Amino acid sequence: MFKSKKYLILLLVTAMMIFGAVGCGDDTATEDGEGDILIGIMVPTTGSEAADGIDMENAAKLAVEEINAAGGVLGGRMLVTTTGDDGCDPSMATAAASQLVSEEVVALVGGYCSGATLPTLAIYGDAGIPFVVAASNATSLIDENPGWAFMINSTGLDQAASAVEKFISLGVETIGVIDSGDAYSADLKEQTIIQWEAAGYEIVADDTVQRGEVDFSAFVTTIMANTPDAIYWTGYQAEGALLIRQLREGGYEGVIMVGDGSSAQELIDLAGDAAEGVLCTGPPLTDFLPAAQSFIENYEASFPREPGAYAALMYDATKLLADAIERAGSDDSAAIKEALDATDGFEGLAGPIMFTEQNTLARSNFVILEARDGRWALVE
Amino acid sequence: MALHEVLLQQLFNGLLIGSFYGLVAIGYSMVYGIIKLLNFAHGDIYMIGAFSGLIFLTIAAPVIGAGWPSLILGLLISMTLVGLLGVVIQRVAYRPMLKAPRLSILITALAVSMILYNTVMIISAGRYRVFPAEVGTESFFIGTLRLTETRIILIVAAFSLMFILHMFITRTMYGKAMRAIALDRDTCQLMGIDVYKIIAITFFVGSALAAAAGIMAGVYYGTIHFFMGFLIGLKAFTAAVIGGIGIIPGAMLGGLLLGLLEAFGTQIPFIGTVWKDVFSFAFLILFLIFKPNGLLGRSESERM
Repeated sequence: MFKSKKYLILLLVTAMMIFGAVGCGDDTATEDGEGDILIGIMVPTTGSEAADGIDMENAAKLAVEEINAAGGVLGGRMLVTTTGDDGCDPSMATAAASQLVSEEVVALVGGYCSGATLPTLAIYGDAGIPFVVAASNATSLIDENPGWAFMINSTGLDQAASAVEKFISLGVETIGVIDSGDAYSADLKEQTIIQWEAAGYEIVADDTVQRGEVDFSAFVTTIMANTPDAIYWTGYQAEGALLIRQLREGGYEGVIMVGDGSSAQELIDLAGDAAEGVLCTGPPLTDFLPAAQSFIENYEASFPREPGAYAALMYDATKLLADAIERAGSDDSAAIKEALDATDGFEGLAGPIMFTEQNTLARSNFVILEARDGRWALVE
Repeated sequence: MALHEVLLQQLFNGLLIGSFYGLVAIGYSMVYGIIKLLNFAHGDIYMIGAFSGLIFLTIAAPVIGAGWPSLILGLLISMTLVGLLGVVIQRVAYRPMLKAPRLSILITALAVSMILYNTVMIISAGRYRVFPAEVGTESFFIGTLRLTETRIILIVAAFSLMFILHMFITRTMYGKAMRAIALDRDTCQLMGIDVYKIIAITFFVGSALAAAAGIMAGVYYGTIHFFMGFLIGLKAFTAAVIGGIGIIPGAMLGGLLLGLLEAFGTQIPFIGTVWKDVFSFAFLILFLIFKPNGLLGRSESERM
């Protein structure tokens, strides 16, 4: 028995070495600068955030189609995409990231849930693959970024500032905050608390629920005992919609505001009438971008659905990446990273893109939205 | 709100959640009592109940509206259909395993659970769905207690179902046969009881109650999801153990107690909503250590 096992191991090791060598051969082949260029897309295509994730995947594919139809990059080479599903879950995301790295993508776009994006940054950094992060924006991403990720959505700091500013302008004096325990929502809540207290106001309720929670009655009861002027929910729409319903049903009449994780139309659909008047510190929603009207038409012509909240940012991320490849003059990952670093005012649908020293967007892009008649509307 | 008013409100919240747990826990406990199976697919039956209610309402809403009459009709139809689904699952997946080692049938139950929720995931595209019930959400007060018509109807419905079940178990021959099989299956067979038929009826009743709880949860929370059965399955299991697994009044009592523990647990400083599940599973562990037979359970040697 032992002997045969040893042989089996030997056989496996030999096989690995042979296949390893074949892999190396592939590497040199792509460095010749011939053939298609493989770009990875990492978004949640299953799970509770699949709606936004699929919108983003579609937007990236649309951008790639347009680029290829216009002659590709680097003098006629086509872009090809492969998608990894992060499921808005850290452990699924690391598996997806390893898969994408093994497929030898030259660069990546995507990143929706910050909690899922966070552990992948080191994986892509170690592999030396640049990653244009379209939506994820927790401030913790900044600290964990080994330098290969570029965030084109404003961060939690900017968002908390928008929320605090809006509350003050509404004359709110006490707020309750609640998050869903993941990196993104905990970070946004933390930043909001810091900035709100720095502005000299009071937090009267602070709670955390788990992802997937359906019953907020205990929190609602606490809220009704303390009656803050406003409540800020920093998590995603699935739980947010239930929270809004239960707050209104429980008799809460103050201001309810949600973060950009809840900015999908789905929040209003799920919360129904209770959503009316809810505010949102939102991303630059595709609908409200003057530059995005032709994008919306093209999107709806290609896919049987409306582009979601993050489609425009994902489209920008993909176009930015193609632009960087062109400027790098090669499909070498390190050269693409340098070109991304040097980005100076690339005109995206959501406005010009340039990066700070920390690879974050050098301006705040948050807007305040309000749910009116079952749709998000821009508050001037 | 003063503290005692908050606690009163939490008492009501806890009773409502607890009655959902209780309805699901009954099915767990009945099945365990009769064939000693921890039916891990039971939470998914609850989820299927919610989705069948959604399908019924979607079809029925244009014809008879989506108010209480159509909900009650939907509840009865879904309970029947999901009850039959429970019988089919029992016939196809569990009955061939009855003579196999206990672990095999447990693993079969896990497989059934996966098949059920993955099927619904594919059909529902993995998305949250709005439960289209049109019922009153206007609230009114009794003293300082805030109530809605929906909450009162749901809690009355849940308790009525538990009462009907209790009557069924204690006052009918079928109920008597179920209790007898729980004591000693082989002897029952020798006495001429159609054991397989009684097992099928047990699955029918348990699944129908879970379906009812699923629809009620849909009405109460307003949205449903393919994975909604997972956590409630664990909670119902906890409730069944707290009450004494295999004992039906124990499952009802365990469910209500667990709901109340959760509601009051969130009022303890530094515990908060996020620790809710930790709190209830900590109680499960405490019960397993100090009172493994549950609140109403007798000692193991007597029960066997």
